[in-house]
Amino acid sequence: MATVVGNGGGSGDRPGARGRATVPGRQGVTGPELATPPLVVRRREEEETVVTFPALVYREFLAASAITAFLMLVSTWVNAPLLQRANTAITPNPAKAPWYFLGLQELLERFPPVMAGVAFPTFVIVGMMLTPYIDKNPSRRPQDRKVAIVLMTIYIMLAVAFVVIGVFFRGTAFTWQWDRLLGHPGVHPGT
Amino acid sequence: MRASGAGPNPLVRFASQIWGSIFRHGLPSTDKVAARTALTNFFLHIHPVRVKKSAIRVSYTLCLGGLSFFLFILLTISGLFLMFYYIPSVDQAYQNIKDLQFVETFGLVTRNLHRWAAHGMVITVWLHMARVFYQGSYKPPREFNWAIGSILLVVTLLLSFSGYLLPWDQLAVWAITVGTNMAKYAPIGGPYTRYVMLGGRTVGQGALIRFYVLHVVALPLIGFILMVIHFWRVRKDGFTGGL
Ligand code: HEM
Repeated sequence: MATVVGNGGGSGDRPGARGRATVPGRQGVTGPELATPPLVVRRREEEETVVTFPALVYREFLAASAITAFLMLVSTWVNAPLLQRANTAITPNPAKAPWYFLGLQELLERFPPVMAGVAFPTFVIVGMMLTPYIDKNPSRRPQDRKVAIVLMTIYIMLAVAFVVIGVFFRGTAFTWQWDRLLGHPGVHPGT
Repeated sequence: MRASGAGPNPLVRFASQIWGSIFRHGLPSTDKVAARTALTNFFLHIHPVRVKKSAIRVSYTLCLGGLSFFLFILLTISGLFLMFYYIPSVDQAYQNIKDLQFVETFGLVTRNLHRWAAHGMVITVWLHMARVFYQGSYKPPREFNWAIGSILLVVTLLLSFSGYLLPWDQLAVWAITVGTNMAKYAPIGGPYTRYVMLGGRTVGQGALIRFYVLHVVALPLIGFILMVIHFWRVRKDGFTGGL
């Protein structure tokens, strides 16, 4: 037995209706999600609800406290880096971008600058924003979304790999070096 | 505590009248009281009164959106304290940071907190994006909220990046030099873009004041407005809920 909450246009009692539903008599409208306001279909047996306060607020409080405690601990023991005063005459070697941009810097090492520095990031950001409009598969079940999941996983793995390479394996002149992991006589690993 | 529960002592009665005028409904003793509390409280109003049980399972959101927001608040507060001591001038900025580290009470821990929370927020926002993707929560009607989220990810990165320059040490200046060098390669107006970002050809006072204003005013404001819209839409569309 499904109960429709909200103004779904009166098409809610179809058994098994999930997500959005098309409204009969409005066939002219191509985008059903434009014609139909957000429709929440709640199945009584499965979708039990609880009051937000305290059930959810309590969890939020716990999560916030936990991360505050964790960050306070880290901040007590690990100091944020502060090197010598900026000096434009001395270029550190290697000069690295912050870690979350090291993927980009890595690409710059491997591809022509116009591609790595401009075309590629633009493609990723625009592609990301357009994802829901490109992926028209209505199902949310993982077994129906193999392509999407594989593509995203490849992307995430590449992104993480590039950051790890940038942080740990790029040494002088941004060339590949093992020293940071394995150490080097007279040189302290890591920054 | 009940607002009407006046004690015999006039002082207690007075106190409970004040308390009752601030918190109109008591602690959630029953679902009804809880619902009314959530409805009438400004801060709780961001939530619906009831939520699907499956939607608030920790294993569903992993708290990641909420944690991103909380880190944003933490960064705003710690950043505010740092602002009392920090002067965005190439002659003073580095010394201000040194003072924070070694002279000001709690300066060191505040700076550390701000720095690590910033890294943390980049990570939680990324992971939040991944969880939304893997659960297909970007599908209609939430397409546009995903797009807003994408901009929020970019804003988060820019916030972190703009803050990176402020300590004015070797790490800061050269990371920004490398970072902004990438802009040079745009086929149209690349060097010009970089010039506008830095307010000059090299990373100097022009760049410092630009990054400072972006970091403490413009980007947090943009981020905050986008978050408000993001949350509003989450609220209106409801949580996607369990699979
Ligand atoms: C500053 C960054 C962000 C903040 C503070 C934020 C916050 C939140 C919060 C609190 C929720 C509620 C559910 C949850 O806790 O997971 C949420 C849901 C959502 N977020 Fe974000 N978010 C951010 C960035 C993003 C990004 C980068 C994306 C994707 C590109 C995104 C897409 C979504 C979508 C589609 C939902 C609805 C999910 C559902 O209904 O299950 N958000 N966000």
